[in-house]
Amino acid sequence: MMLRVDLHPTHVSEDGKYHLRVGKPLPFGASIVPGGVNFSIYSRYATSCKLVLFNKHEQKPFCVIPFKDEFRIGNVFTMVVFDLDYENLEYGFYMDGPFDPRQGHRFDKTKVLMDPYAKAIGGRDVWGKTPDWNDIYQHRARICFDDFDWESDHPLETPIEDLVIYEMHVRGFTRHPSSGVKHPGTFAGIKEKIPYLKELGVSCVELMPIHEFDEFENSRVSPTTGKMLMNYWGYSNVGFFAPKAGFAATGKFGMQVDECKTLIKELHKNGIEVILDVVFNHTAEGNEKGPYISYRGIDNKTYYLLTPDGYYFNFSGCGNTLNCNNPLVRNMILDCLRYWAADYHVDGFRFDLASILGRDQNGAPMHSPPLLETLAFDPILGKCKLIAEAWDAGGLYQVGSFPAWGRWAEWNGKYRDDLRKFLKGEPGSLGGMAQRLQGSPDLYSWEGRGATASINFITAHDGFTLYDMVSYNGKHNEANGENNSDGSNDNYSWNCGWEGESTDPAVNKLRMKQMKNAVAMLLVSQGTPMILAGDEMANTQWGNNNAYCQDNEISWIDWSQLDKNRELFNFFKKMIAFRKAHPVLRSSGHFKNRDYMGSGFADITWHGQKAWNVDWSAESRMLAFLLCGMHAKGGTVDDNSIYVAMNMHWEMHGFELPKLNHHMQWYVFANTDAQPPFDIWEPGKEVRIENQNEFLVGPRSVVILVGKESK
Amino acid sequence: MDIQTSKQDGVTVVALSGNLDGNTVNEAQEKIMPLLSADTKSLVLDLKGCGYVSSAGLRLLLMAAKQLNSQGGILVLSGVCDEIKDVMEMTGFSNFFKSFPDISAAVAAVRKGGA
Repeated sequence: MMLRVDLHPTHVSEDGKYHLRVGKPLPFGASIVPGGVNFSIYSRYATSCKLVLFNKHEQKPFCVIPFKDEFRIGNVFTMVVFDLDYENLEYGFYMDGPFDPRQGHRFDKTKVLMDPYAKAIGGRDVWGKTPDWNDIYQHRARICFDDFDWESDHPLETPIEDLVIYEMHVRGFTRHPSSGVKHPGTFAGIKEKIPYLKELGVSCVELMPIHEFDEFENSRVSPTTGKMLMNYWGYSNVGFFAPKAGFAATGKFGMQVDECKTLIKELHKNGIEVILDVVFNHTAEGNEKGPYISYRGIDNKTYYLLTPDGYYFNFSGCGNTLNCNNPLVRNMILDCLRYWAADYHVDGFRFDLASILGRDQNGAPMHSPPLLETLAFDPILGKCKLIAEAWDAGGLYQVGSFPAWGRWAEWNGKYRDDLRKFLKGEPGSLGGMAQRLQGSPDLYSWEGRGATASINFITAHDGFTLYDMVSYNGKHNEANGENNSDGSNDNYSWNCGWEGESTDPAVNKLRMKQMKNAVAMLLVSQGTPMILAGDEMANTQWGNNNAYCQDNEISWIDWSQLDKNRELFNFFKKMIAFRKAHPVLRSSGHFKNRDYMGSGFADITWHGQKAWNVDWSAESRMLAFLLCGMHAKGGTVDDNSIYVAMNMHWEMHGFELPKLNHHMQWYVFANTDAQPPFDIWEPGKEVRIENQNEFLVGPRSVVILVGKESK
Repeated sequence: MDIQTSKQDGVTVVALSGNLDGNTVNEAQEKIMPLLSADTKSLVLDLKGCGYVSSAGLRLLLMAAKQLNSQGGILVLSGVCDEIKDVMEMTGFSNFFKSFPDISAAVAAVRKGGA
């Protein structure tokens, strides 16, 4: 070991037991250094600070060490404590300072406060295990090893247009007994399901929040089901740097960091990227009635957006709003994302209610928000995907106008709505649908953006599952205990003739077809498709479109559905494979609407019952388009041509097919009106159609043809 | 923690009994690392008497294995109970070790050139 002068302590704690010296202010948090642990925490308004040390799980601290005056540098308290058994250690802080809510200060020197930079957090080690509410320190900062052996692993850097994203909840994915994994509901459980993900063909998993949160936040009993309602989704951070211990089978041993990293390493080995859903818009401390966990007691005025009277702004709908454009909070967010990118090899981030990240310290939307700009240009995040949920609960809706610097993509809420309207046959939905199929040029064709700015989705955790979207006209959230008043009312769903579960074969057949129609349209759209986990097996939440509090069969994926819905799984799998096989479906830029390759066809052309003619009137429900293979990826690669006919009318219609060049013929890849196995083919094994002039497209059906040389 | 060192068919075997965690890892490290001199080509770590290995313990095992690898040697495990095996699998440590049911199988494998 290198000899260093600072291996030697300079001070002794008051009880004489611990040797100390001044620490380094950076990095913030607790870091293992030779001989000890370096603690560093900042507070602009605190007058003094004490380090509180606990043995793991013990309610009484074994030591409290004040930061001496000489251990404060600027507004940072920092010291090294030597000879700690850091594997068995939990630490927190007492902060003293003014209690003056009108001025924004809420210091309380009796509260043990968690380190905002804690890399591991105890207290909820095993999911759902009732905490000891008498414990004065509920969420307990721990020291973690940062020496994980990644070997040659590296973020995959797949071009975003080549991704097929699969959104999942870590627990919900395998918690149901039917999942058959050894450790249900955990990171390890997902690892066991990697072969399944590979078979399906997805190339990216987007994990709903995995930062430490408190599943017992606002826990209560459902008045209708009698079941415990919890904060199951976890859009409410306790800590930003720590993975949720209760999502790790090894959380009870404090090894959640290694288990989470091992999952990411294994996913990468299998060509699957990892995007984290991150929640920087608020914390679990709620409003002025909420608990002291960390931020409120450390520097309330720094961390939160406050009204002139010192109350909490509530742009998140969750009680408080993180003060994202305060320079210190901005730095914390940057430190956090850099940490997940560098230490966890995460491939990208999806920002929950990201519009809040563009509000100034008074809550007003900014023109060029420094935080968003910083993230767009940061070198460590340079290859990370940055995806915004471009709205917030304070009424800001920025789909198409989120500040992007050519770097930010968006959850395209308009894609979801327009596709759903078209799918259910709503009049006047053709124009919107045409934009969505092209990667929404109406929204993203300026400021250096392109089709890659659009994350296309029909379903996500928020809202109906795909099966429920074709089985329910309205939401059924009674089990959430709010008289069905929570959750969105704008679902654009259609139950196919019966509300909820049906024994009518005609209803069920139509539902199956509508699900196939939806996924077919999603996967032939330009932009990046996202699928909600479980949709490929027709997972249901029985009409609940806001299952945030349901840690039970409502939200857990029922894997027994897979056997019952092999037909749908097979359709998903082949559609994903088809997208992968055809670069013409994966442009990064938008179409130019002209023939710049001399093929005789523009890159995209529109058709209807008559080739080259679309009836764009409000009552028209038929649309077809042809993608010219020679124009694939801006003409840089050669592909087959692809023709997609969508008939969302309730009657069958003939579609005149555009004539291909000499030697080329139409082959059918998918026809959602046909029964399996004739509904979809292996990509490359499509079947030549007899009638090359017209295709009869069934009622509410999608047909996909491939134009290639006749054999 | 009880740490016994022996030789079997010319192979050094270290048998650990008790829990390998933050309390005992330093002691284990002090006993194991000196055994990894430059001419050591193999080591069997027997965990038959070991009920729990913490994060720090797993790191000690990995450090010892990497040290031996760097000098062209190999470290193998024997007698690992199912729970520890499971934890090693979930936390990625199992990728770095070959594991055998008992000492003699481990020694035999090492003598054959690392199995």
